[in-house]
Amino acid sequence: MMRAETVPATPTRERPEAPVTRPGRIGESTTRADGVPKVTGEFEYSSDLSMDGMLWGATLRSPHPHANIWSVDTSEAEAMPGVFAVLTHEDVPGRKVYGMEIPDQPVLAWERIRYGGEPVAVVAADHPETARLALEKISVEYEVLDPLTDAQEAMKEDAPKLHLSGNVLRHVRIDHGNVAKASAEADVVVTGEYEVGMQDQAFLGPESGLAVPDGEGGVDLYISTQWLHVDRDQVAESLGLPPEMVRLTLSGVGGAFGGREDLSMQVHACLLALHTERPVKMVYNREESFYGHVHRHPAKMSYEHGATKSGELVYVKARFVLDGGAYASSSMAVCLNAATFACGPYKVPNAEVESYLAYTNNPPCGAMRGFGAVQACFGHESQMDKLAEALGMDPVELRVKNAIEPGDRFPFGQEVPPPAPVVEILERVKAMPMPEEKEVMGRDLRELPGGVSNTTHGEGVRRGVGYAVSFKNIGFSAGFDDYSTARVILSIEDGEPLVRVHTAAAEVGQGLVTLQAQIARTELGVERVAVLQADTRVGSAGSTSASRQSYVTGGAVKKACEAVRERLFERVREELGEDSGDLSVENGDVVSGGEVVLPLSEVLDEEIEETVEYRHKPTYPPDENGQGDVHVQFAFSAHRAVVEVDVELGLVRVVELATAQDVGKAMNPQALEGQIEGGVAQGLGLALLEEIQIKDGRIQNASFTDYLLPTTLDMPSVKMDILELADPEAPYGLKGVGEPPTISSTPAIVAALRDATGRELPRVPVKPEQIVGIAKKPPDAPPQPGSAGYAELGRLDERREQ
Amino acid sequence: MPGYERAEVSAELTVVPSEHAGKPPREQIETAKTAAGETGLAREAGPETLVLAGSRREVLEATVEVIEASLDAGARAVELKVEAEGESGRFGGGG
Repeated sequence: MMRAETVPATPTRERPEAPVTRPGRIGESTTRADGVPKVTGEFEYSSDLSMDGMLWGATLRSPHPHANIWSVDTSEAEAMPGVFAVLTHEDVPGRKVYGMEIPDQPVLAWERIRYGGEPVAVVAADHPETARLALEKISVEYEVLDPLTDAQEAMKEDAPKLHLSGNVLRHVRIDHGNVAKASAEADVVVTGEYEVGMQDQAFLGPESGLAVPDGEGGVDLYISTQWLHVDRDQVAESLGLPPEMVRLTLSGVGGAFGGREDLSMQVHACLLALHTERPVKMVYNREESFYGHVHRHPAKMSYEHGATKSGELVYVKARFVLDGGAYASSSMAVCLNAATFACGPYKVPNAEVESYLAYTNNPPCGAMRGFGAVQACFGHESQMDKLAEALGMDPVELRVKNAIEPGDRFPFGQEVPPPAPVVEILERVKAMPMPEEKEVMGRDLRELPGGVSNTTHGEGVRRGVGYAVSFKNIGFSAGFDDYSTARVILSIEDGEPLVRVHTAAAEVGQGLVTLQAQIARTELGVERVAVLQADTRVGSAGSTSASRQSYVTGGAVKKACEAVRERLFERVREELGEDSGDLSVENGDVVSGGEVVLPLSEVLDEEIEETVEYRHKPTYPPDENGQGDVHVQFAFSAHRAVVEVDVELGLVRVVELATAQDVGKAMNPQALEGQIEGGVAQGLGLALLEEIQIKDGRIQNASFTDYLLPTTLDMPSVKMDILELADPEAPYGLKGVGEPPTISSTPAIVAALRDATGRELPRVPVKPEQIVGIAKKPPDAPPQPGSAGYAELGRLDERREQ
Repeated sequence: MPGYERAEVSAELTVVPSEHAGKPPREQIETAKTAAGETGLAREAGPETLVLAGSRREVLEATVEVIEASLDAGARAVELKVEAEGESGRFGGGG
């Protein structure tokens, strides 16, 4: 470790003024304040932060997925001009590990490397290029070990232990009814093996932030994250500081989708800032970002469904093996979610579900939109299609026949709360008009699979239609104390009433800032609202994940507004007497009986401020049989996909996605449509394109050139049917909306591909070689002309007949 | 999303090896880690530090086993911190 030779005066960073907006009320489409600056490039993301005297941080990462570290020599890097600090694990003054559920991930590795890209040392220098060059001067002596990259292999007794107590991080078993007895009673049984690849959140803004020492031993961190308080608490523990000496402020977040729920560079930047006594900025590049956050868990799933001849489900057996990668992250909860959603939104009288989560030397996996339900939904919906085929039934009819209803019990024992409109959303999505099917020959190329690549003029193109339905828990589950805090201030500013709303809830692009303003506008009847920058000066809002912020932070803002309103009315009653009738606030005036009784300006000589916490009803961990009231709210969505497939080349055009989703209450219809379209795009990505390719523990495609994402040309139009069936327990009756669109869109697309091709397609993303029937999985090596690969493929016309 | 039942108790053990024992310092630490791993409750938390997490009874019993293994291997000391997770104040508690 080196210290800066010149210590500047304590730097400070001015807190920007919160913009004053005039939002619509709840239920009205309201344009977001950050929309235009984001489009024009004026919005300040965390990667844009800057301060005078700022240094640049950089991270040395292991090139090996599994290795012992024998020595780290930083002397040459330390001697470089412009380098202010080179830090290793020895410089971590507090807890040397972090993790949201289980602190098992080193801040900086000390003697064992468990994944390729794991941080080993950090550098601060006066220029980013100097920092990068300094990394090259750090000498690390590794003993390279064989990586353990298969989760099923990692679970074997004789597998090398990657962590002290073995490689099985969690096993959840759900035991419901009597499967052994039921399996003898089923008329039809279908089995299937399914696989989901490792999807990336692929947020556009890489991990970045600015750490500023306060000159008194503490630090301010400006950061893009999903959960300020959990970041703060973990950073403080690793810095060996009390939480109040670590203050976090949310900076511009360029997308999250779960990938910012864990720490990345937070501790590193703060360590460097405190050591150098200078502001330190860290920004990952695109490749580094793939090593810097967790991904969606790859899953291997085995299913067995038994049903009567008339199509009633008799039992379901499911076994999941999820690859957690090197460290725990939120894998414990993902493992539980996969288990609880394994059977789908269906009446299943008997079920046996086993969900395992194993450590491997692959990159760590954790939260991503859908959180265990995505994998499960691909499995159970593939099975429902297979069962429908075996029974000779319409796949939607089979789903409707078995749809779960309020008052039923899920296989994990919880009673289904109302509303649970599974039948309704399936019937609605089926009833939507089908897209026009133009004559395929002679079409504009852009309306054919392969587009302007000119791969077909219509020959070999077949249309397919597929359906899927899903459900997802909203909010934190299994006994976690899930709450949010809101501070609301009502005052007169510049002669007009103004509401200021302050929470620590992370706006990650979903529109929460606008929603908070709409709630304040609605509850307090004041047009002007300013939502203050989220930071740790106010209590925790919990994470922006699990589709929970509208419910929990929205609930907190509503409750705080109600408390402010009550105090306001107390003042009015003091002024006008207790018999002043039913009071309300409209357009900046206090109203009673339809008449203005006082302008707010006359009551607000002193501002009114209230800070409240809001909690949803409690949840409970499952018992030893996987039974319990585990979740708080369930959101349901159904999708229909229409695809056209070039069955010779395996190219796909998704013609249309239609969806029906119950949202409880459309709080901001414009933002809701955006959430649904975005979620559908991410589901399409998993169905057809998105997968982190890993070979021997190493990521092969850590760029947006090689990690394939859907573009506007890949996305079809999305037809939506929004149901507003109020949840009686939720604020405004709302349901979380962010995740459901991602979950059932994927299996709907794959079902449509199966319909078009007749192939089994048990793995996502579905690759062209699987569509044309070359292999169920991508080959280890590409076939070459004259090789056995080509010989096995046979002639094209023969393959067509397979 | 930390939505699961948290461990009731955790014990953080830091092994201080002896330069004069029969086994070299690294081996003393490895012995402690192996003993910890066998309890099924352990994770590493630093070069000489490990954490046992679980129910109160199982953590306390495992702690004794690890301390005994460490001392048998020649460790000079084992520093111990036992924490009730419910009181730890982590994960967003307070402002």
